[in-house]
Amino acid sequence: MPAPRTPVARGGVEAGTADGLRRTCHDGLVVPLVLAGLAVILVWVAPGVMAGRAALRRVPRAALVAWQAVSLGGLLCALVVAPAALPTALRGDDVRDHPWLTGLALCITAVVLARVLVSGHMVGTRIRAIRADHRELVDIIGDREREGLVVLEHPTPTAYCIPGRGHRVVLTRGVLDALPEDQLSAVVAHERAHLRARHDLLLEFFTVLHESVPGRLRSASALAEVRLLVEALADRAAVRRSGEVATARALVAIAEGRVPDGGTIAGASAPLRMRLLVAGDRPGLALAAYGVALTALVVPVALLVLAWA
Amino acid sequence: MPHSTSSPRLGDLERVVMERLWDAGSTDGATVREVHEALERDRDIAYTTVMTVLDRLAKKELVTREREGRAWRYFPADSREALTARTMRRTLDDMAVTDRRSALLHFLDGASTDEIADLKAALAEVEARAGSADAGRPRRRGGRHR
Repeated sequence: MPAPRTPVARGGVEAGTADGLRRTCHDGLVVPLVLAGLAVILVWVAPGVMAGRAALRRVPRAALVAWQAVSLGGLLCALVVAPAALPTALRGDDVRDHPWLTGLALCITAVVLARVLVSGHMVGTRIRAIRADHRELVDIIGDREREGLVVLEHPTPTAYCIPGRGHRVVLTRGVLDALPEDQLSAVVAHERAHLRARHDLLLEFFTVLHESVPGRLRSASALAEVRLLVEALADRAAVRRSGEVATARALVAIAEGRVPDGGTIAGASAPLRMRLLVAGDRPGLALAAYGVALTALVVPVALLVLAWA
Repeated sequence: MPHSTSSPRLGDLERVVMERLWDAGSTDGATVREVHEALERDRDIAYTTVMTVLDRLAKKELVTREREGRAWRYFPADSREALTARTMRRTLDDMAVTDRRSALLHFLDGASTDEIADLKAALAEVEARAGSADAGRPRRRGGRHR
């Protein structure tokens, strides 16, 4: 049933194109196929490509926005692909005439959504429990210093933060002894940057997405790259506080203090991070990353609108 | 979630009670009444609160307990040093990697011997780049403790 059109709303040519486009979409499976293809690109192809673009690490903030948008866009595609195919399957009939088809489309969306929500709940519960337990332990064994800083009497030089409610920055006696003042400030600035910018939520989001993808299709590259970008971003706060040299020396000092026992997981990220400290900004690349982000979010929504137009 | 019930006040009490048990020593331990008497000297605290805190600590396996008549005698499960070492080991090595990396954000998450060599090379580059700009600063090299 054609909607009554107000004469002033649009010109004849424009309306004609829209009608033509609408007909093409209804006839074929164009939109749902494009959506499915886009989902594959955003979920499986883009992470590999983006992780391979080392230059993106020089614009960590823009890169993180792009990573989030691409992941969200992929998820969006997966959620709307079945509803977008519905108009084609209905062949112009009303939704109420085909309850089974409609139900199936909604079911597919519900399954995808459920996977993400269940994974979100499991990951969230698990890491919040770890943090709460750890914070309680640290409060018992550590010495509380000024604002959220806790010192553990342990010789291994290390520093980390416990994000979330009642967050803490934890330093060991080892790191206090090994690092001079400016390097220590760099380390604390780095950890505080994590807390202030809620990098934990970002990592949680990507852990959830990672775990909601079926095991064999899962790629570790997105999560690993996002971890590196988050560190690079926090390193910038350290550099602003104490400069490149002090931050770089702090990285070496802490790396050296952690004698690897063979089983230590090596992310290979420390040397990368250090070289990023002195790598210049790339404003053009940042702009491109924001462009990718916008596209990844707008296109799936536009396609769904088109399918139902 | 059980964790949301632990107010910061309870957390502080856990620390105070643990310190009291560490003072008492792992062989002697202390009963709820003994801990309560010690704590009561410098704070207003109910006997049942001490009991609750010790019960929580026992559930977390930070203290062990033995029957003594109708009461329990509590002992620290580990010395403070041993508990610290255990906690550190767990944050650095034991936990599942994905969980640990998402739950706690380390300044540096481990480096292999090769990486340390690479790091030092990269540090030399950074120092060279900073060059004269950094010459005025004191050049104390951090972390070279033997």
